[in-house]
Amino acid sequence: MKPIRTLKISISGVRGVIGDSLLPPLLTRFAASFGTYLNSGEIVVGRDTRTSGEMVKHAVFAGLMSTGCQVIDLDICPVPTVQHMVRELGARGGVAITASHNPVEWNALKLIRSDGCFLNSYQAEELLSIYHQGDYKKAREHEIRQVSKNGQGIQSHLDRILENYGPVKRNGRKFKVAIDCCNGAGSLMTPRLLESLGCDVTAINITPNGIFPHPPEPVPQHLTDLCTLVKETGADVGFAQDADADRLAIVSEEGQPVGEENTLALAVKFVLSHEQGTVVTNLSTTRAIDDIAQAYHSRVVRTRIGEVNVTEAMKREKAIIGGEGNGGVIFPKINFARDSMVGIVLVLHYMATTRMSLSTLINALPKYYSVKQTVPCPSFQLRSILKQLRETYSNDELDHTDGLKIIRSDSWAHVRSSNTEPIVRVVVEAKSEDAARAWAKEIISAIGNR
Amino acid sequence: MCAAPRTEQVWFDEAMNVLKISISGVRGIIGATLTPELVVNFAQAFGTYLDSGKILVCRDTRPSGAMVRSAVISGLISTGCEVIDLGICPTPSMQLLLRELGAKGGIAISGGHNPEGWNALKFVRDDGIYLNALQASELLDVFHQNEYSKRPWNQLLPVQKRSDAIDQHLSRLRENLQVDSIRRRRFVVAVDCCNGACSEITPRFLEELGCKVVPINDSGSERFPHEPNPTPSNMQQLRALVKASGADIGFAHDADGERLGIVTEKALSLSEEYTLAILSLIKLSEKAGVVVTNLSTSRAIDEIAARYGGSVTRTPVGQAYVAETVKEMGAVVGGEGSGGVILPEIQFSHDSVAALGKILEFLALRHCKTSDLAGSVPEFHMVKRNLEFSLSAIFAIIQELRTSIESEVQRGEIDLSDGIKLSRPEGWIHIRDSNTESMIRIIAEAKESVQAESLANWAQARVRMAGARMNDR
Repeated sequence: MKPIRTLKISISGVRGVIGDSLLPPLLTRFAASFGTYLNSGEIVVGRDTRTSGEMVKHAVFAGLMSTGCQVIDLDICPVPTVQHMVRELGARGGVAITASHNPVEWNALKLIRSDGCFLNSYQAEELLSIYHQGDYKKAREHEIRQVSKNGQGIQSHLDRILENYGPVKRNGRKFKVAIDCCNGAGSLMTPRLLESLGCDVTAINITPNGIFPHPPEPVPQHLTDLCTLVKETGADVGFAQDADADRLAIVSEEGQPVGEENTLALAVKFVLSHEQGTVVTNLSTTRAIDDIAQAYHSRVVRTRIGEVNVTEAMKREKAIIGGEGNGGVIFPKINFARDSMVGIVLVLHYMATTRMSLSTLINALPKYYSVKQTVPCPSFQLRSILKQLRETYSNDELDHTDGLKIIRSDSWAHVRSSNTEPIVRVVVEAKSEDAARAWAKEIISAIGNR
Repeated sequence: MCAAPRTEQVWFDEAMNVLKISISGVRGIIGATLTPELVVNFAQAFGTYLDSGKILVCRDTRPSGAMVRSAVISGLISTGCEVIDLGICPTPSMQLLLRELGAKGGIAISGGHNPEGWNALKFVRDDGIYLNALQASELLDVFHQNEYSKRPWNQLLPVQKRSDAIDQHLSRLRENLQVDSIRRRRFVVAVDCCNGACSEITPRFLEELGCKVVPINDSGSERFPHEPNPTPSNMQQLRALVKASGADIGFAHDADGERLGIVTEKALSLSEEYTLAILSLIKLSEKAGVVVTNLSTSRAIDEIAARYGGSVTRTPVGQAYVAETVKEMGAVVGGEGSGGVILPEIQFSHDSVAALGKILEFLALRHCKTSDLAGSVPEFHMVKRNLEFSLSAIFAIIQELRTSIESEVQRGEIDLSDGIKLSRPEGWIHIRDSNTESMIRIIAEAKESVQAESLANWAQARVRMAGARMNDR
């Protein structure tokens, strides 16, 4: 028996390991459920560079076509490009084939609605009930529409960004930018974007072949090659993307990873410095966002984890910027999606308008230290873990919106089950690294002592 | 009482449950039985059965072909196959390229002669022949076991597209024909491609042969103008075209380039039985040898073989049986009365483009007219009837007829290798289960039409009686 099941069918879509659980019949059925749910119409499909992408794509095509959908095939492109194109083309929905930051053997389907956002949990439940019922719409011979290829996705997305933010210089000098696209979907777009912005680009891992040179999650321990590149080339900044280019990590001109929490903090600070407005982010994101918002007399709204929870709250609150602490910046003026390309543009323009180095900008941000840890956990154990923690921390302020968040005056901790893997995530943030570590250790041992 | 018109809806409702998994592949109705999931599973089963390797995939022009193709490609990739996607092309073009490339197998996505609404997977092995009955049952075992090879991410291979299958096919045909002789005749040729997979290859081929081509239904992206089965009832348009253009000959294709129908310069449409008869005559006149055909094909073949000192070997119905026997016996020609012809110098598969080239070559070399050629085929009268039954009843009916006819019928020779065939000096009857549709076929043939009709009536009555007894149980 396998210790941990690899298939996860959840509100985040369907996710599994190639050659193990994520097999063509399941994908076909899932796509047919989605086509049934949307009652046909135009569906935009894009994928990241994973070697399994073509297999998954054809299974998805077959399922969508069998329900009478008109498939628009963008092929390899960033997920935010798929989301952008769904809106641009007025399509009824979209499917992004990517396991995002998950390791190379994984793949997944992310399902997109007509407004470019992912399905929310209610919609995902509705879709799942069609999937489980197994009664899909069946198009007849002449209701089957041929796949239409669309090679314009990346260009259209670039145009949209460049309409809003043009070329950048600092003190009349071009920026030197180093990038690591992890051989993912960003490989096809990020170098073009940076050239259009007038930067000198040095790139590694921009072969879109899906052979990841390091795990695709853009966290500091995976950025060593980029740090070296920044130092060797004397770059002003380094950018790293995950496989589908929704998340962005930044390396300073000193060759130091700035921490993925700071990606959003920089973007928020830049945007609020020009315009007051509401910021939306999730419960696990750094309190630096609140401090920055307060300084600019702006408001922060917190949501459950998951891109769609943030985007929906942004719509409701008419937010001007939002995102997640994992490096996902959402800037509605350009795209209602976590979009690393948008993050890059905002950071470069921030550096240009302030004429400051990246490390100076980072040093000016509120200082917090966070510890993120994971504990393997089958879903049936989750309830008892949370119960245990509620008892342990009954004297603290508790937020039950998503798992459990324990809130203190200068620190907080968030414990929740992952949407994408059979694990519990523990995030602790405090004013010092020691304090954060100590509390995280305490929580994990409390979980272990049930 | 007036029969209600047989609308598309009625047809669809009746066909809803039809899925045929047989030696001719997996065949079903789009929007009903042939679901993408089933197709994916069969592609996984085929990839598992072949233990991965290079697999060619082609399709005919049916709109559902795109859906089925994606399902096939996904299933094959997941089992580690290297998929070579030929897009839309005739099935024989794929079969030929498969051998050239030394591929391990192929899947042709085509409902063949079946009407709009059907589609099918036809499984091809490394020699270009369809899986035989034994292999098809092995494949089914894998399918039923539902345990397919699952390759990890680093063993999945990208799809390769190729668009030269038709070019390669044409060059192979040119090498095997006396092209200059054909060119000199400057034939006027009418052709009805039924908007199928031959819409590109045949007009191109005819132009290369110096013909003036008068094509209809050669768009490849529009609906079938009539059923894609080249029988006289589907060749009305072609007849009119031959008449109007004064063509020397008219050819009709099915959807994927297996069956060929012929119209003479006098605008007479020939029965589909003539196609193999004519090619047998042409091939045997070059060199005496064996002709392989199925039990249901006209006795005209036997008379032609006798005329040229050749012989006939009969097999059960199904291209794989005929093709394997052609290969084993080194036959000079093979085929089926449905209009499919195998020219072994080209390949061991039905190839309607090769067949029409060979006919034009003969007309050119012998300086004869199409009607002369048709006139030298001995005349027989054939009656074909299709009786629809539920799939569950068909097998029982055939079984019952086997025992009752074998024990009761005194006169004539009985062959039970594929349904029941009863041969008598004046004619024969063949009662069998269709490989491709949910029906029992009755074929009767005799020198006189009255005899053929009465044989067919006799067989039909027996089948109906057996069917009624099934219902009584």
